[in-house]
Amino acid sequence: MSELESRLTQLGRDLDWPVTPDLTHAVRERLNPPVRARRRPIVFRRSLVIALAALLLLAGGVFAAIPSVRDSVLDFFGLQGATVERRQELPPAPPPSPLELGRQTTLAEARDSLRFEPLVPEAAGPPDRVYVANGVPGGLLSLAYRPRAGLQEAKSTGLGLLVSEFRGDLAPEYAGKIAGQATKIERLTVDGHRAIWLEGAPHFFFYRPPNEPFREERLRIAQNVLLLEDGRLLVRLEGAFDRERAVELARSLR
Amino acid sequence: MEDRPPQEAELLARAKRGEVDAYEEIVRIHQTIAFRTAWVITRSEADAEEAAQDAFLKAHAALDRFREGAPFRPWLLAIVANEARNRLRSAGRRTGLALRVAEERRPVDAVPSPEAALLDSERRERLLAAIERLPGPARQAIACRYLLDLSEEETAAALHCPRGTVKSRLSRALDSLRLELGEEVQA
Repeated sequence: MSELESRLTQLGRDLDWPVTPDLTHAVRERLNPPVRARRRPIVFRRSLVIALAALLLLAGGVFAAIPSVRDSVLDFFGLQGATVERRQELPPAPPPSPLELGRQTTLAEARDSLRFEPLVPEAAGPPDRVYVANGVPGGLLSLAYRPRAGLQEAKSTGLGLLVSEFRGDLAPEYAGKIAGQATKIERLTVDGHRAIWLEGAPHFFFYRPPNEPFREERLRIAQNVLLLEDGRLLVRLEGAFDRERAVELARSLR
Repeated sequence: MEDRPPQEAELLARAKRGEVDAYEEIVRIHQTIAFRTAWVITRSEADAEEAAQDAFLKAHAALDRFREGAPFRPWLLAIVANEARNRLRSAGRRTGLALRVAEERRPVDAVPSPEAALLDSERRERLLAAIERLPGPARQAIACRYLLDLSEEETAAALHCPRGTVKSRLSRALDSLRLELGEEVQA
């Protein structure tokens, strides 16, 4: 080995490498997911759903907060970071509330504070507003787009497009949806990524911060939504657009 | 860099039989080299973490195809590097090599190695800056082979090219560094 090669090898030992994250836990979780952190979309038979709901009730989970619908879950869909429940009856509609997206920031600053690289839908251009919230491990990023051609205003948000991103692997059930029978729920694959599309008839959306009980006041009515699992990220796109437009936006995430 | 413990073959055999504990131990053993290899390619900590994590999962899914008795690390690093390259789509928001020489870690009274004695801080920074100016493929070859201390076989696996290509890239990269550093180093 030449002197230069020796110097290079020594340099490698002296470098201040980025700290290696502990991957063992995440790999184990993804190899052997706990019952509530489903990795694959699951459609339960009704009897199984009722049994699951009863188990969650015992554990003081989300169903305990909505006793009137506790045993009426019809289907259950899951991605890493999001759950979708189709129910026979929906909870009462919550009063409209302002969007709580966190503090306004810039994409550059968001990159520093989040534990993931933000993805931006290039098909929509740069966002008009960027927000970061810290209620979830790894952080929650929201990109807000004003209504414009190709992005009609959604009544639920007043925006043309709302994109939310967080680490689904760190918060496997952070985003929740409760839909009635009239809402179309479809499982898709977008460029190899698993996704769920919800369209039509108002459905509810909520975040469930880890270690906090479900709170009904967090429910808000949502418009059409595409939930996308991109590696460790869960990306949520909400707007008045149709499925094709949502998929086009999702495919342009960079 | 971690050493590979002698029981790796046994851990792999157990992991193939579905023992998650055994595979978790394999992840623990190789996670640093996997993450750093991914980082050398992506230059993004978030992407490197994701690439390494996904690579461990893909390797697990492909364990049945892993030839018993073959070295595991080159096989794993090929998967890691492939995952890392797949994440390069978001080019433009990458940092530079961005490595810095760590503060002196050796105890004050420790006797430095002959190489370490040569490497004063200023010279190391200059060497790092020269690596930084190399073209991408040459920089990655130098980073994998020397900074990460991978074998030639592992470097070839990580860079997805034949060993001969690794040798020629390294040779050209070393020549460039020698030129750049002038009389500091001898061939």
